[in-house]
Amino acid sequence: MTDTKQPDSKQDEAVDPNAPITGMDYFMKLEYHELICPVVREFADALMEKRLIGHKCPKCSLIYSPPRGYCPICTVQTTKADEIEMQTRGIVTNYTVVTPVQYYGQEETEPFAKVSLQLDGGGNLSLQDLPGVPVEQVRSGMRVEIVWAPDGERHVDDVTNRSWGSAEGAIRGWKPTGEPDADPSEYSDKVF
Amino acid sequence: MVNDIAIVGYAQSPSWRASELTEPQFLFPVISEAIERAGVERREIGFTCAGSCDYLSGQTFAFVMNLEAVGAWPPISESHVEMDGAWALYEAWVRLQHGDIDTALVFGSGKSSPGKPAEIYPLQMDPYTLTPLGADPVSLAALQARAMLDAGKITEREMAEIAARSRKSAIGNPYAQVSGDDDPEALLKEPYVTAPLRRHDLPPISDGACAIVLATADKAKALSKRPVWIRGIDHRIDIHQPGMRDLTESPSTRLAGKKAGVGDAKVDVAELSATFSHQEKLLCEELGLGDDVEINPSGGALAANPVMAVGLARFAEAARQIAEHGKHRVVAHATSGQALQQNLVAVLEGD
Repeated sequence: MTDTKQPDSKQDEAVDPNAPITGMDYFMKLEYHELICPVVREFADALMEKRLIGHKCPKCSLIYSPPRGYCPICTVQTTKADEIEMQTRGIVTNYTVVTPVQYYGQEETEPFAKVSLQLDGGGNLSLQDLPGVPVEQVRSGMRVEIVWAPDGERHVDDVTNRSWGSAEGAIRGWKPTGEPDADPSEYSDKVF
Repeated sequence: MVNDIAIVGYAQSPSWRASELTEPQFLFPVISEAIERAGVERREIGFTCAGSCDYLSGQTFAFVMNLEAVGAWPPISESHVEMDGAWALYEAWVRLQHGDIDTALVFGSGKSSPGKPAEIYPLQMDPYTLTPLGADPVSLAALQARAMLDAGKITEREMAEIAARSRKSAIGNPYAQVSGDDDPEALLKEPYVTAPLRRHDLPPISDGACAIVLATADKAKALSKRPVWIRGIDHRIDIHQPGMRDLTESPSTRLAGKKAGVGDAKVDVAELSATFSHQEKLLCEELGLGDDVEINPSGGALAANPVMAVGLARFAEAARQIAEHGKHRVVAHATSGQALQQNLVAVLEGD
């Protein structure tokens, strides 16, 4: 548990052995190993076949992707029978630009965007990437289509119960189709 | 003045060593079953309170995800305790005392399987003197058992007998994880895990959940033919630093038991959160429970230990004794912290 490798070693600093102790460093880490739940495993298996799946609530018709196995609004469970395949084109409904702070463990160095998508025909995905699109050009209303990782390189190692639709090993990202932007009325009530 | 509150519905998941379901996924049917058994409409419930610990599953705001199993849209009135669900029940009991609402849902859930409990728990101890030592529940319980053995308050044979009886009681309990017909003599031949504790003295590592629906008196009578009344409930806490208390005693249990009224009349059954075998004897002594009281007919925490749900599960099992097995007066006990640091005691009664 104890991580003795300190991120910014103070070992070289001269220490007065008679000085009062005002604090102590204690570096630790916790490791977790979680089993992938069945509905997320099915989502991951579909990604390997270049398919995007979700569960459609039998009561309110909302589509959840990745599937959760239930609709939290209607409190009904969903199963394989509620599975639908979604289209791989859609509209950027919202986005955020992350400016990385170089805290311990941060691997990103440049600002990057994460976007939420509303897919044609229904369904939403969050935490998606638009590789190659400068962050200042990212905007709501952009029409995009999926870019799958090529055969042989595609993997779902990063898909977990907690990845919320982020699947960078399988989906390289989304690229603008070049079509005119969608009218806000098409997505303005679906900004997540 | 205290208003009468009753348990009108309860449900549990099985206790698994490692569930492949997420916490909201295995909570979902448990909460639905408790609500169905209570016979209330989900949207009628006036208050919801949950007990869980994000450190267990290692997910920030995991307790918010758990609300997906409740149905929190349109918004509901809810709260959370970073404690066993039994303390969520206490908060809901207090909330119902206000008298403006008549039903409450409480639940506790935990997934211990993804992490390593021996690494996680030392983080709740004193960060200067105990966390760096890796003071985990098994080590501290072993110190407590050693102190009790040295004081002549228990024997290793008695500990093995408690474990064997718990495992036998758990046979047929669909929620139990450890059960079987073991000879205490054979158990005593097993090696120590952390002396003086052997495997049978330890609880299993478990994933699981429990949910309970509470109602005020008039509502409970309308909903249930056999409401389970909470006649007394109290929780007390001993000092955090285990080195500064006598581990062979549990003053907080004694006081909580007195305040809850355990000794005021005959007790038929007690469901105790004795997570380690020796703690059962200590709890019985502090609560004044004699040989005529049936202890942990479910198998108790030695048979199933879904942390953050195990104490609330004692309430569910205690309520079952009254509602399904015709018992009249049953004690439920939950504990928090290490080596019985904090204790909650309730007296449940049938009509």
